[in-house]
Amino acid sequence: MLLAGIPVILHPPVIARTMTRCKPWFAVPVKILLIEDDKETSAHIVFALNGEGHDVTVCHDGQEGLEAARSGGQAALIVDRMLPGLDGLSMVKQLWAEGNHTPVLFLTTMSGLNDRVEGLKGGGDDYLVKPFAFPELLARVDAIARRGGAQDNEPVRLRAGDLELDLIRRTVHRGGKPIDLQAQEFRLLEYLMRNMGRVVTRAMLLENVWDLHFDPRTNIVETHMSRLRGKVDRGHGAELIHTVRGAGYTLRAD
Amino acid sequence: MRIRFLRTEGFRLSALYAGIFAISVVILGAFVLVITNQALRDQIVTFSKTDIAAIRNGFATGGDREAQEIVHQLLAGPANADFFYLLQRRGKVLAGNMPAMAARTGTIEASFSSTGNKIEVLGVGAFLAPGLYVFTGSDMTRLRAVQAHILNIMLDLFGASILIAIAGGALVSWSFLRRTDAMARACQDIMQGDLKLRIPVRGTGDELDRLAEAINEMLGRISALMENLSQVSNDIAHDLRTPVTHLRHRLERARTESRTPEDYAHALEAAIAKADEILGLFTALLRIAQIEGGDRRAAFAPLELDALLAQMRELFEPVAEEAGDVLQSAPMDKAVIRGDRQLLVQLFSNLIENAIVHTPRGTRIRLSLSRIAGRVVARVGDNGPGVPREEHERLFRRLYRREASRSQPGYGLGLSLVAAIAELHGATIQLVDGRRHGLTVDVSFPLAADTEKT
Repeated sequence: MLLAGIPVILHPPVIARTMTRCKPWFAVPVKILLIEDDKETSAHIVFALNGEGHDVTVCHDGQEGLEAARSGGQAALIVDRMLPGLDGLSMVKQLWAEGNHTPVLFLTTMSGLNDRVEGLKGGGDDYLVKPFAFPELLARVDAIARRGGAQDNEPVRLRAGDLELDLIRRTVHRGGKPIDLQAQEFRLLEYLMRNMGRVVTRAMLLENVWDLHFDPRTNIVETHMSRLRGKVDRGHGAELIHTVRGAGYTLRAD
Repeated sequence: MRIRFLRTEGFRLSALYAGIFAISVVILGAFVLVITNQALRDQIVTFSKTDIAAIRNGFATGGDREAQEIVHQLLAGPANADFFYLLQRRGKVLAGNMPAMAARTGTIEASFSSTGNKIEVLGVGAFLAPGLYVFTGSDMTRLRAVQAHILNIMLDLFGASILIAIAGGALVSWSFLRRTDAMARACQDIMQGDLKLRIPVRGTGDELDRLAEAINEMLGRISALMENLSQVSNDIAHDLRTPVTHLRHRLERARTESRTPEDYAHALEAAIAKADEILGLFTALLRIAQIEGGDRRAAFAPLELDALLAQMRELFEPVAEEAGDVLQSAPMDKAVIRGDRQLLVQLFSNLIENAIVHTPRGTRIRLSLSRIAGRVVARVGDNGPGVPREEHERLFRRLYRREASRSQPGYGLGLSLVAAIAELHGATIQLVDGRRHGLTVDVSFPLAADTEKT
């Protein structure tokens, strides 16, 4: 119920390198530039990001934000679509044209499909519709910020501890023993493993695994997650998939 | 008013017709002038040739004298009043009523002075013998007079046609203006706020009537939408007050009752959950409004409805199982429709979730697809308790919740959203309730045009 009100958004497939070692999702403080004209909203966002140890700089208009982004050094930009001076989309397009590909999370009050598609085409990595819950924002910022250094070389296998997922053969093994997964269970596990060590929210799973862009009334995510856990974790020693209370799920091998 | 005449379509049309008519009068006049001129000249030449033949005949039988005699006879003829004759030998006039002139043969025009007047003649000249020249021809004054007469008639016609066109145009624009002014006044009255008002229709079925009818239909649609809108905003205001008031009560109670940090934490959790519920309600209402706005139709693409339903079954099968229900699907043939995939997924999710949430454990939910008369009907049926027929209409109303489901989470917007998405896709929804067969929802889509034949 905590996440019930979060308007869900389109999300491009996440391509990340497999990490052999996992860190807790909240323990990687990074530099973040927030460009948001509404003072109250930005104060709340800064508060939430600071709580995770992130170093946040705030700009209140597009032109100022562009200058700050040009100076570089940020792991991610959080950009409001509607800004005085220079609108968020034009600002990000400008940065792309200058070769600055810092990951961008767009914030917007507009929830039209076209705005979303436009935002993602214009250089945005993810898109969050206001109002949103803080765990949703933190999870998404974390996801795009850590993707920053990722290259396009698609891995063939994803590994987490003794769990191995073969993207070519579409097979999963745990401790050398094959695990039989249905197509959607495979996609769910693949998404969790690609985001190993990070928290993924229900909305992120619904969007990326099932392409659902609304908040369902039934416990779709919980049900499928429970089935996946039954196959992947049950009877295999250490648990890999963990519930993060009030936020979502994470897959990690300690 | 005079200036406005010039700007009306009626006046512009009459001016155009007047212009076209004037040009045709000019062309016709020129044509008549050329034709009559040619005919009159031909007549003069024919007469002249006949006379010359008579003179030549005289010369052949009786030489100079006989020729002179015939010229005299011709001069005396009553029909030849404006004819001129000349018989000359080497510049010396033998007979005739005109002075000697240069001997040119064939059809010629010549001029000479007679008692101070310049006379122009058209006629035929010929040699009867070497040195003996004869000319007969007619004064061109009459020909010129006839032409001037025709020209005058044409000018009168031209002027009259312009006058008639202007008068007609003024009349047409006046009556046109009178009616458009009435329409404009009615529109202004409507803008002042009287949405019940309609534009007068004369009942003649002409263009202006059709325009008035179209505007009236539009007004009808607008007032229906406005009524709907005010109904919805009333509903929203009313239905949002309840959760917001609950939220306020919770916070007040937390302030007075909480003793420990745990109490506060618990109260805050509950308040956040309530706030999320309110936001969720807003999001759902906004989504319906966006879909009803219709701007998503631009993103329509062909999609296979059978494949989409198969995915829905795959997605919800474990969920149904968890709820103690069974979700099945009948074998489906390929059916291609045009639509927005994300919205259709939401439509079927809502229907399937309704069947899961609002039925007791052990309910069988069945998805099927059939083709009926050029349409494809997707059916979500269950064998639960069903919904009484008299409630079917109300089910699609915004924020309507059945008595039995008030304890379940939800806003009462699911079926409104389904209806909005269906309408966007040109689909119709039919609820079938059989007491023993639970509730069946049929969504009938038009098939995509390019697959209708297959």
